[in-house]
Amino acid sequence: MPTSIFGPYTRTIFTGAVITGLLLFSFTYARVGVWIEVQPFFEWMETTWFGLIGKTWGAAFASIQAIHLIGLALLGGSVIVGDGRVLGLILADVPARTIIDRAHKVFFWALMTLLATGIFMACGVAMKLYYLPVYWYKMLALCTGVFFHFYIRKPLLQRELEDINPWLLKAVGVSSVMIWFTVAATGRWIGFSG
Amino acid sequence: MDELIYNFAVWLDDTRWSAMLHESYYMYNWVESTHVMTLMISLGMLFLIDLRMLGYALPDVPASKIAQKLSIPMAFGFTVMFITGISLFYAVPVRSAQSVWFRVKMVLLVACAVNAYLFHKRMNESVSSWDNDARAPSRIRHGAALSLGFWTIVVICGRFIAYDWFDCDYDQSGFIEFVAGCVPGQERF
Repeated sequence: MPTSIFGPYTRTIFTGAVITGLLLFSFTYARVGVWIEVQPFFEWMETTWFGLIGKTWGAAFASIQAIHLIGLALLGGSVIVGDGRVLGLILADVPARTIIDRAHKVFFWALMTLLATGIFMACGVAMKLYYLPVYWYKMLALCTGVFFHFYIRKPLLQRELEDINPWLLKAVGVSSVMIWFTVAATGRWIGFSG
Repeated sequence: MDELIYNFAVWLDDTRWSAMLHESYYMYNWVESTHVMTLMISLGMLFLIDLRMLGYALPDVPASKIAQKLSIPMAFGFTVMFITGISLFYAVPVRSAQSVWFRVKMVLLVACAVNAYLFHKRMNESVSSWDNDARAPSRIRHGAALSLGFWTIVVICGRFIAYDWFDCDYDQSGFIEFVAGCVPGQERF
């Protein structure tokens, strides 16, 4: 059984393997086949109501972009507070469990806002995104972030923090901040490309 | 007044560093990206403080502690935003100075500053009596809601600056020309 081999970190190790596999797949020639396969999906996105509104009504697109930024601010806030507490840099005199759990709730709703507004925006410029390498880097970073947050960080931090190796805690906190800032940076760079 | 602002913007536009910043693809994009991404630190902290006062985030953490501890990264974030914001204005001074959205944003930033001052003053006067309550008293909540509203509109205005709907080089209504401060016969946009 994997559990007996990897001990209490089974899920963490398997998720790490999935993320590594995703990264390896993305940087090999195998991705081209999938890229060609998904083209009709992107063409279809532009024909949806979201796509039509996004393409024809600039003010709606810009307003949704602004809400996307507000979601980004909230997500950034929750990550900095949650991971700042994990690293012992912010609110160190408040129980870590309280901060981590409460910050996760904010993170969840911020992520939902970002996904909803992000899907709307992607529909408006779907074919442009399809041909932009930086868009795929962002999706890669986003998938890594979601997998990391829900399948590595969250289960790990549900344990008693005193029982977790402090170096592992630090690695998780730093990784989380770096991943989400990479998601934001690649997203910003989409605006400068194409 | 509009002419004075326009002439000042034209003078800025003529400076060597303004042209260099505007024409440098990577430098301009780095400055703009930093301005937008610092939202995660500045507004991220501010929204958490406001949501705490409204009882929607971190309700079981003392309000004074949230306000005090998060104000440090928030101040850092706003400092970076301020520096990058001035740089962005400096890179495109004429169009920015005559942007309706930029002008509304500047007015709202002043309103945000006044609101923040009153919010902290009222909070410091009374926080000891409600520090551990999930929701702050109504006066503080109103300040927090105003802050959320103002900053949301600031972000929207900031995003809208990129669009040319109300630029002075298009035919605009008298009202828009007044708000944007378009100068008759201006040659620079």
